[in-house]
Amino acid sequence: MKQKLTILSLVLLVALSVTLLDACKKSGDDTGGGPVNPGFNPTYIKLQIPTGWPTPSFDIYATNPLTEEGFQLGKKLFYDGRLSKDGNFPCASCHQQFAAFATYDHDLSHGFNNAFTTRNAPGTFNLAWMKEMHWDGGINHIEVQPLAPITAPNEMAESVDSVLFKLKKDTTYIRMFKAAFEDGSINSQHMLKALAQYMGSIVSSNSKYDKVQRGEATFTNSELAGYNVFKAKCASCHKEPLFTDNSYRNNGLPINTFFNDFGRMRITGLRSDSLKFKVPTLRNAALTFPYMHDGRFITLGQVIEHYRSSVIPSATLDPLLNGGITMTSLEKSNLILFISTLTDNELTSNPRFAQ
Amino acid sequence: MRTTTLSRNWLGAMLVLGLIGACNDKDSPATEATGTVKLSFSNVVGTSPMVLNTQTYTNPTGENYTISKFKYYITNIEVSNGSAKATEKDSYHLVDQSIASSQSFTISMGVSNYTTLSFLLGVDSTRNVSGAQTGALDPLNDMFWTWNSGYIMAKMEGNSPVSTQPLNKVEYHIGGFSGPNSVLKKITLTMPAGKTLDVRESKTSEIKITADFARWWQNPNTITIATLPVCTTPGAQAKQIADNYANMFTLTDVVNN
Repeated sequence: MKQKLTILSLVLLVALSVTLLDACKKSGDDTGGGPVNPGFNPTYIKLQIPTGWPTPSFDIYATNPLTEEGFQLGKKLFYDGRLSKDGNFPCASCHQQFAAFATYDHDLSHGFNNAFTTRNAPGTFNLAWMKEMHWDGGINHIEVQPLAPITAPNEMAESVDSVLFKLKKDTTYIRMFKAAFEDGSINSQHMLKALAQYMGSIVSSNSKYDKVQRGEATFTNSELAGYNVFKAKCASCHKEPLFTDNSYRNNGLPINTFFNDFGRMRITGLRSDSLKFKVPTLRNAALTFPYMHDGRFITLGQVIEHYRSSVIPSATLDPLLNGGITMTSLEKSNLILFISTLTDNELTSNPRFAQ
Repeated sequence: MRTTTLSRNWLGAMLVLGLIGACNDKDSPATEATGTVKLSFSNVVGTSPMVLNTQTYTNPTGENYTISKFKYYITNIEVSNGSAKATEKDSYHLVDQSIASSQSFTISMGVSNYTTLSFLLGVDSTRNVSGAQTGALDPLNDMFWTWNSGYIMAKMEGNSPVSTQPLNKVEYHIGGFSGPNSVLKKITLTMPAGKTLDVRESKTSEIKITADFARWWQNPNTITIATLPVCTTPGAQAKQIADNYANMFTLTDVVNN
């Protein structure tokens, strides 16, 4: 009898121990500290690195685990006009999927109260490989990028406070924030992290060029000739496979005296950065016209012509552009045909990125 | 038989107790005893308490001004006595003259007697480049530059008849966290002579600090509103003001309860 009691007490003790261990584990895992959120059971997903591409030097999701719920919330926010003061300017108003997430056929985009922006909207794709954003590199992390257009008076013209006030009244957002974030609250950090999950997931890697690289397609003779021109005369700045080296360079444009935009110098305060702008990717360039930081050129032909004949010498001119780029007219037309192979129709039609 | 049963039960009981102990260790890695330290900041201008908007002050070069906003970050707090050092985890606080509750806060520190208090005036470079933050670092606090990512470490806004800016504005948004543009200042304050900060379990000790805005105007750099009514970008001028405001804190008292 006594032996049975002993065994029973031992069993009970072991059961109690397991329960305690379990409680211990749970309290250790629950680092959010907020209220219990039964709606939080996310599906974790991975950013797919296209074959042959470098691993991003900086993991944008290191402190923002990518989930399907976070991606979907970010997408809803990206297309929601309520992020702007008058409801008319969602992120997507300047970053249109059919234009590879740039503004189609606009040198400058439109913002609140009929204002113009002061620079050309770049295509927001392959951002996971971009440490800094903006033509001048002023934004140091994808998560804080949306603060700039949301609060700029000539863009979305809204305060973050007011955006959150609007979101908190929407039961769909209440549900989606709970699904995407452990403590479930609607706050600026969660909004920005969700936007980063959506924007950072937009990858353009299915152009004809990519298919040629993968052996799924072949260049025409002219495209191949253009590719060789590109490799000889453009690739040092527009480095494959991203078609940018993400550096800042003065490419010899005369300053527009209306804007007096000196580019990177505004961020670093260094004279040596005067007139330097981020090297843009050539991917989807056929869709992202007009070109340059202020959209001054309408066609790729004009851009190449600038490099052939109009580079302005100055103290900060990129040394690679001293004397411009020598190119025959045939090389120029072949180069344009090659750049057209960088258009990714799967990106522009992918329903996963669409509203 | 009886002994065996007892010993088995004891074994089990010890196993359970051991597990409870392990659990506690996991929840609070600092096994040492901790007490509470209250930091109280009192913002002043020279010898007067700071009053927003309605009080006119005069700077050392004779320029009159009022203050409408005064905010600064106190981060990475630590106390030390040479041999023992305690740091606050996730240590980010924003002191705002317009929010009384922001001007004092409590932190948990290991039990000991300390002679110095140190903190960073501003937000360390890591948090400036780590994406969206929350709490004291939430961009809603209006201390984050949206066009040139980074925190404003300390901010003063006001008006002065001497200012050439619209509405006679005076605006000093002092920031910059990297390389030659860094305005980060590590401040070390010593407890008053003959006193130590005595941190004890389940007790609260208080450190009283004044922050004197008048120090922004001089020593080592003389700043005048006529020549510099606005400074809202990182760079040489921001660094000049930061060199001055590094001297604005005085530890006036420590109260051990």
